[in-house]
Amino acid sequence: MTEKTENLVINLRSIKKRYDDEAGVLNALRGIDLTVKKGDFLAIMGPSGSGKSTLMNIIGLLDRPSRGNYFLDGIDTSKLGDNQLSKLRRDKIGFIFQTFNLLPRLNILQNVELPMVYRGISLKKRKLKATKILKSLGLEDKIKSRTNRLSGGQIQRAAIARSLVNDPSLILADEPSGNLDSKTSDEVMKILVRLNKTGTTIVMVTHSSEIAAYASRSVRVKDGKIS
Amino acid sequence: MLIQNLKTAFSSILSAKLRSFLTMLGIIIGVAAVLLMLAVGEGVKFQVSGQISNLGSNVLTVTSGQVLNSSGNNQRSASFNPSSSLGASTLTEKDLESIKKINDINLVSPIMLVSSLITGGSNVSSTTNIIATTSSYGIIRNLKFANGSFFTEEDNLSGSNVAVIGSTAKKNLFGDKNPIDQEILIRNQPFKIIGLLEESETGTNLGPSFDDAIYIPLNSAVNLTQTKQIFRIIVQVSSANNIDQAKSQIESTLKTNHGGQKDFSVLTQKDLISAFSSILDTLTSFIVAIASISLIVGGIGIMNIMLVSVSERTREIGIRKTVGATFSNILEQFLIEAMVISLIGGFFGLILSVIGGLIIKKVVNITPVYSLRAILIAFSLSVIIGIIFGVAPAIKAARKRPIQALKAL
Repeated sequence: MTEKTENLVINLRSIKKRYDDEAGVLNALRGIDLTVKKGDFLAIMGPSGSGKSTLMNIIGLLDRPSRGNYFLDGIDTSKLGDNQLSKLRRDKIGFIFQTFNLLPRLNILQNVELPMVYRGISLKKRKLKATKILKSLGLEDKIKSRTNRLSGGQIQRAAIARSLVNDPSLILADEPSGNLDSKTSDEVMKILVRLNKTGTTIVMVTHSSEIAAYASRSVRVKDGKIS
Repeated sequence: MLIQNLKTAFSSILSAKLRSFLTMLGIIIGVAAVLLMLAVGEGVKFQVSGQISNLGSNVLTVTSGQVLNSSGNNQRSASFNPSSSLGASTLTEKDLESIKKINDINLVSPIMLVSSLITGGSNVSSTTNIIATTSSYGIIRNLKFANGSFFTEEDNLSGSNVAVIGSTAKKNLFGDKNPIDQEILIRNQPFKIIGLLEESETGTNLGPSFDDAIYIPLNSAVNLTQTKQIFRIIVQVSSANNIDQAKSQIESTLKTNHGGQKDFSVLTQKDLISAFSSILDTLTSFIVAIASISLIVGGIGIMNIMLVSVSERTREIGIRKTVGATFSNILEQFLIEAMVISLIGGFFGLILSVIGGLIIKKVVNITPVYSLRAILIAFSLSVIIGIIFGVAPAIKAARKRPIQALKAL
């Protein structure tokens, strides 16, 4: 399409999402065109109900668009089955959630290893890499702890570590500091900025303009369209 | 992935110990029941086979009636009907003489059974078998004496009222007293005890007991009852190698005597053991099948708890799928968990069955025998139960969609 298509991590074309249930029809997304280049740090902003969560789910391969095409790293995702989507998600996308979403029964190290487990990587390699990433985030003395022994900031840092572990093309962050106080929030956002500077592509969804300011550019979603 | 799933399964089971134990209870009881029934069956077979082996491998038993119906040469599919040997016998004196004449036959001894209460000391026994026979019986059966000896051929010919007593009969009638020269009454006729047998090695109360028995000369019994019937003939063959040969020779000789009718049976020790084994196997299989019902109940228990567990872990499944778990990854995880629960249950069931076996040994005096085959059967059953009843919950888990799952609490 354009000379820059090879460089595009995310290429969304005329994405529409429509929900049909007993409550009626809901057009969550009404035609979204969006591109994200390698090394971008994009903030997607919008109020609740704007469709930004739906957009994020589609970008994260957790949901499929009703119409339109989503190319991730040049791959046409509309042709993929559920299992293939899972594998693509595993290999290319790292997730950071507002509610952390770590498994409470595993310790931090095991949580961070988890994407590698599903990739079939050996125990030794997993431990090595997970420990290294946790160290780079200042968590090396917490690796055997479970989430119930850590502060919110530490848990989110562990979640960031997990998102990096499979060397993803894209980090997808959904209100990453939504559950953190302002000081910790700042720490976490600074980590994301640092990651982006080393070349990691980040797409972040937030309703806060203060948080969006950490990104290098932002778009607004309103009533299912980018305004 | 297998090791990972095993670790996850153990961690999940250990995190809710009481609940996991209650889930396993059905399997524990089921496996214990199945194993115990199999072991008791084996134990009974072992003890009775031991008793039969005491007869000697070069001994043939000839009985009236066709007690063992073998289809062709396959003795394993034989049907055993002992009742055909009851009642007026088809065996005759002539049969006895004909058998004596056969080559390879060393000794022959006819047996008549007498019904009577036995009075001895100040006790009465109603359970003691009275076996009337000739002097060669003692040699053929290789009887061992604690005191005294078997009666002689002279005793038999003269119809003297002498008796040899087995260890259990002696205990019941005379306690610890020495029975030699003591008097017992058979149908109110006095008999003097001239021999006490040693306790046979397989001292059990299974089958016809040779220890709870009195042996008297055949002619004395004929005088006592005014009848003569040869219920059985035991035969000593020159060597165990010739036993099949001797068996067919006896069969053809007797068939000739009986006008071409095979209304008798010639049984080797092997025949007796396999007949008994086949009855017992049928019985055991039936009982084990019933015990298996509790395994099914156990499986249902596992399925129920796992369904609940899957609901409770919806968020966990969502997270796993988000970071890359596929349908089969999740399916495998929960299926292995179900199998681990049933395997652990099977293991505890094994322990419980051993405890049950010890109790049975004390109460009923049968020693259960735990064969490797039985243990493997029991464990395979528990794994299969785990798979069958774990499949539905595992599929439910694997089907969950990440977005909805993540929203769960």
